Amino acid sequence: MTRLLQALREAGMLLLVAAALGFIYTAATEKGMFAHLPPVPPSQTGGLLAPAMISRDQAQAYYESGTAVFVDARHEFDFKLGHIRRAINIPLRMYETKKSILDAIPKNRLLIAYCDGAECNSSIELSVKLAKDGYTDVKIFFGGWSEWTASNLPTDKTP
Amino acid sequence: MKNLLSNPQLVLVSRVFIGLLFIVSSLDKIVDPSAFARAVVNYGLLPSWMPAIIATILPWVELLCGFAVLFGVLLRGSSLLLSTMLALFTLAVISALLRGLDISCGCFTQDPAAGHIGWMKVVQNTTLFVLTLFLYFSDTTKFSIIEYLQKSETA
Repeated sequence: MTRLLQALREAGMLLLVAAALGFIYTAATEKGMFAHLPPVPPSQTGGLLAPAMISRDQAQAYYESGTAVFVDARHEFDFKLGHIRRAINIPLRMYETKKSILDAIPKNRLLIAYCDGAECNSSIELSVKLAKDGYTDVKIFFGGWSEWTASNLPTDKTP
Repeated sequence: MKNLLSNPQLVLVSRVFIGLLFIVSSLDKIVDPSAFARAVVNYGLLPSWMPAIIATILPWVELLCGFAVLFGVLLRGSSLLLSTMLALFTLAVISALLRGLDISCGCFTQDPAAGHIGWMKVVQNTTLFVLTLFLYFSDTTKFSIIEYLQKSETA
């Protein structure tokens, strides 16, 4: 019993010293939890905040109201296999060449960007590009294709 | 068993081995706490605020305990801490393996190219766990700083 008490006392001491050293060292060297994350250069976002994210329920409501255009950021191949009904496809990597399909859409129309879901970020990047190009009402459906199909909502295939 | 626990050579070899091992393994984590924090996150066992704190403190616990075991100072406390840590690491690795996670260990190196966890890691950790327990129950201060100090006091 005395062995355990002595060990616990020593262990507590070691823990305290280690914690103090750890915090002092990482703070002094600005590593780990004290690291400064590089600020995002304004040129990447056009000075705009990233567009708002919407839930599956909101996405469904916008879909049913017919007020929104869904923009699929995924690769063309995935889009052909299946996409949200009436969505248009602008793969993020081909944004510059494909964005002309948006020409017919008024700048104040609600655009909802999506991609696969939680595993991808291209919906966010696409939405930032759309906002930079002057679309004033852009939202992100971050749950994307995986949430949409999981809820059995309307989809289309391109033959 | 009693003989083993008070065998000075055996205790010394275990101390040097465990001590150096933990000193070496702490260095990579101290140099890059962020990489270690990511390795901890990958296990998916802890709430999001914990890995950063663990990555700040745990490498230093390893370093201090490594030196303590090596020199035979605070041997009980340090070997108790190390065996507790090893037990927790082993449980974490087992749970990751059972969940089919293919992640790197974050044990000795933070190099993402290093091998991923496997059952060999469990065997390895269990062996180390037994060694640290052995040090905890050992009762000889031979070849330690403590012995040196006691000698110089009586001299």
